[in-house]
Amino acid sequence: MTVKELCEKMELSVLTLPDGDREIRGAYCCDLLSWVMGRAKADDVWITIMSNSNIVAVASLADTACILLAEGVELDDNVKAVAEAKGINVLTSEKTAYELASQLSSFLK
Amino acid sequence: MKELSLNILDIAENSVRAGAKLTSIAINEDDEVIKVTISDDGCGMTEEVLRNVTDPFCTTRTTRKVGLGIPLLKLAAEQTGGEVTIVSRHESEYPDTHGTTTSATFFKNHIDMTPLGDINATVVTLIQCNPHIDFLFTHQFGGKTVSLDTRELREVLGDVPLNTLEVIMWIKENLNEQYNGE
Repeated sequence: MTVKELCEKMELSVLTLPDGDREIRGAYCCDLLSWVMGRAKADDVWITIMSNSNIVAVASLADTACILLAEGVELDDNVKAVAEAKGINVLTSEKTAYELASQLSSFLK
Repeated sequence: MKELSLNILDIAENSVRAGAKLTSIAINEDDEVIKVTISDDGCGMTEEVLRNVTDPFCTTRTTRKVGLGIPLLKLAAEQTGGEVTIVSRHESEYPDTHGTTTSATFFKNHIDMTPLGDINATVVTLIQCNPHIDFLFTHQFGGKTVSLDTRELREVLGDVPLNTLEVIMWIKENLNEQYNGE
């Protein structure tokens, strides 16, 4: 499943989608950035509520497929611009991290 | 980072990479605020590097394109209502007084305060991994001061390297005693 397909299936709002054809292979859920750096895997959907520009760097470093912001978290314009420039997909949803993760698990068989 | 001491280790490693001969780590605590100051006599940063230093996509590393030492320290401080300030003098402009001072303030009663963690381990790791350079560590809290100065140890030890197992064990015990003693 690609990030673009995920957006449609889960009705997520797109904040940035520079690489919509990126394949998704797993998911990871955590807000402590240093923890995510060492533990999220490449091609994961990373679910978080953090929204400062460091998340773009962490997603880039861990090579996740996209960042999925929970609980309606939005990005500042400058963070959005960095994400766009670095090719990082960022999506958002009103649902909680738990709801998103449990919904996502049915697509990641 | 789950512990501030790991942030401190990360910043002190920047000092080591900047060629510092002496790196000071000072922690000053009162009832409300913890102030952490890491200062070195390394090569310093140019104004341009200093301007971009909180940008995670700016790093002196060549092995990867992302550097999160300062950005994560800034995040940890700001999420308690504190801040990070950095003053640096590059060797090109200040041949005799170059170096960098990074200060972070944390409001320790804030719910998002990261615990200080095992600061002894940070100090010991720094000395163990960089036996050729000097570290001055001071931690003031509750009317008490814990301190360690590798320059003083060197005077006593003569040619014995600081990362000799017995020396490292002594440093560990000495710090523990200072923290736990009267």
